[in-house]
Amino acid sequence: MFVHLQGPWNPVWGRLSLQAIPYQNPILLGTFTFAMIAALAIVGAVVYFRAGPYLWREWFTTVDHKKIGVMYCLLGLVMLFRGFADALMIRTQQAIAVGPHSPGYLGALHGYLTPFHIGQVYTAHGLIMVVFAATPLLVGIMNIVVPLQIGARDMAYPYLNALGFWLTAAAGALVMLSLFVGNFAHGGWYGFLPLFELPYSPGVGVDYWMWAFQLSAVGTTMGSINLIATIVKMRAPGMTWMRMPIFTWASLSTNLIALTSFPVLMVSLALIGLDRYFGTHFYTAGQGGNLMLYNDLFWVWGHPEVYFLILPAFGMMSEIIPTFSEKTLFGYATMVVASFAIGGVSWGVWLHHFFTMAAEPSVNSFYSVTTMLVGIPTGVKVFNWIFTMYRGRVRFELPMLWALLALFLLLVGGMTGMMNAFATSDYMWHNGVFVVAHFHMMVLLIAASIFGGVEYWFPKVFGFKLEQRWGKWFFWFMVLGTAWVFVPMFILGFAGMTRRLDYIPVTQWAPYLRVMLVGMAFYVMALGFFVAHLYVSLRDRVKNRVGADPWGTTRNLEWMTHSPVPAYNFAYIPHVHARDEWAWRKEHGMASLGNESFEDIHMPRNTGVPVLLGGLAFVLCFALVWRIWWLAAAGLGAVVLVIILRSFARDTDEVIPAKTVAGVEGGAQDALPAPARG
Amino acid sequence: MTHAVENPLHHPEVHQASLPGYVASFVITIGIMTAALWLTEKGSLSAQSLVGWTSLLALIAILIQAYWLLHMNWSKAQVWHTVAMVLFIPLFVVMIGLTMWMFHGLYQRTAITMPSGMRTAPAMHAATGGVATTTKEAAKAA
Repeated sequence: MFVHLQGPWNPVWGRLSLQAIPYQNPILLGTFTFAMIAALAIVGAVVYFRAGPYLWREWFTTVDHKKIGVMYCLLGLVMLFRGFADALMIRTQQAIAVGPHSPGYLGALHGYLTPFHIGQVYTAHGLIMVVFAATPLLVGIMNIVVPLQIGARDMAYPYLNALGFWLTAAAGALVMLSLFVGNFAHGGWYGFLPLFELPYSPGVGVDYWMWAFQLSAVGTTMGSINLIATIVKMRAPGMTWMRMPIFTWASLSTNLIALTSFPVLMVSLALIGLDRYFGTHFYTAGQGGNLMLYNDLFWVWGHPEVYFLILPAFGMMSEIIPTFSEKTLFGYATMVVASFAIGGVSWGVWLHHFFTMAAEPSVNSFYSVTTMLVGIPTGVKVFNWIFTMYRGRVRFELPMLWALLALFLLLVGGMTGMMNAFATSDYMWHNGVFVVAHFHMMVLLIAASIFGGVEYWFPKVFGFKLEQRWGKWFFWFMVLGTAWVFVPMFILGFAGMTRRLDYIPVTQWAPYLRVMLVGMAFYVMALGFFVAHLYVSLRDRVKNRVGADPWGTTRNLEWMTHSPVPAYNFAYIPHVHARDEWAWRKEHGMASLGNESFEDIHMPRNTGVPVLLGGLAFVLCFALVWRIWWLAAAGLGAVVLVIILRSFARDTDEVIPAKTVAGVEGGAQDALPAPARG
Repeated sequence: MTHAVENPLHHPEVHQASLPGYVASFVITIGIMTAALWLTEKGSLSAQSLVGWTSLLALIAILIQAYWLLHMNWSKAQVWHTVAMVLFIPLFVVMIGLTMWMFHGLYQRTAITMPSGMRTAPAMHAATGGVATTTKEAAKAA
């Protein structure tokens, strides 16, 4: 039944053997040592502080949307660090391996990475940054903020929420494990067919890529179902559609995209799986298969995915800019329409990723026009943000700085995106680094929005503000790094440099590559400032303690409740009177009104089932990667069994007594320094 | 947050269940699929008519299953399911329609065939007998 394999296999260990551990590679050995030291430090700290039971009770088994959101953000940050390390390797390799006389180290003819190794680094960098860094960070922020913004006590499906997170974490762990056991795909993050077919990629790298991608897609789809259901069904009384905060609108649009597009990704990956495991021919050029079908299916997901990432980023900008302009958002209704217009158009642009496929001119023209159409709603948003700032009292605090950087990067990325929308031009620079520089502008705008969003909502989640001094160093060195890396990359794109090169044959490109390396040095320094930013903020957390509304000019419901937010979010469900409810209450002198008496609050109970299912899914995928059939069968059986057993669980809820609520509400006020009390 | 439902049988979605509806939809859709199979196996229709008839039968089967199995209706309990389904249709048409359009032109312009390297690849054990692997064979088969 299974396809014939090249290389050894046995029924007990499948393809796994000691040779799969790359202990002879000094880079991976160093990485392994670093990872082990970090892991030992974390485990040691947990044991020393006896934090194990607390972590299990309060975090690993939690179904609280805020804690799950924080864990998503931590996962995203760890993977962002890994993706950045990959970027550093790519840039250093390209700066060294220029021309035939360039030196070679560690077994490489030029530079220090062999073509196979740098292929893995490129693939891992792309996949990690898109799927395991940006996506978890954005999903994490949506998880935290959306229920608070709509006045809900949790997500519609708290258990599903935890399950989605642990499946995503399992997928991330699978990518990380490929560093030390086996290898990763080496043909690019979005996969190439038929290169990714078994005869041409006979190792386990593609299998790691495929199963990690698949698992994360399942997790993200679950998250999107949850967020849509939460927004549609759980808004506070009085919160009509047109009173909904703009970030929630953006989240709704983005999750509709996710719900409709991620299943296509799952199918496209499943078909690769059938080709690789059962010898079918979905993507081979003969026997009824079609290798372009993969490109088609993948980018049917891939381009909506771009807007899945960018719409929450736009939503965060739309929250930050009014707060720090001390004005209401300009053009609320047009913002909503623009968000959905972008979401809608996202479904009709995907062929622009393969204009060079040789489709008919009319087909390419159609996709050129639809791609350019994206500029209209995006332009509406840009003008709305500018008009929001116009004649406002603009305060350049850290969240605002990040939002403004995002706005600038959007203009650069948007304009170059319009250039790429021309199919004729794309024939010139397809798979060139001009395109790479363009999409890095877009993902960096997403990163800038994320940093802005984290700065903005951090006090709400943790109850203290992040300090500003090191944060500004971090910000400005990120600006420097971005300019020094990507301006030369645009120039090299025009010079004709193609992407994913392990060796640079044109020596005239060397100066630009070295300038980019300086940019990477700025990024490394920015990372140091980021660590200092977090350290100083944690050290001074008591001094920087804040009340419900730390920025003073916030506008939505999330700023009504305490900072940090209690487990139940709101002691009583607020009634919404207007758009920007919190600003409306402050204007009408109703900011401090609240119930004196409290009621019991019904909440979901923590459970260890999601983390168990995440672990079992990890085992299942690991076994499938290495074709250890008995383990895969056991893993799948265990997953099914646990799901069935969980469906019989009746004790899934708990009640927080009114007395406890009263205590928390009183305590939250007492804990504040006098000026911060609401 | 989940709402407390003590008895799952009281859930409005569960109240949509109907044994006669399930049996009817099952029997009718089996009949429709058998008819589609019979039409395909008989091979007396032209390719275009065959696609038309099987598409029509598939549409009827989908409508029957949507109504009796998935309970797509405008009741308060089901309206969001129905809205989601209706909104999905244009998306499906756009995706399949555009894909067909791009591949239709692509095949005409490139006459994609199996590269010779793939025919000798290790995993390709099966003979390619009966399948057109060159432009000439494809044209002959057409």
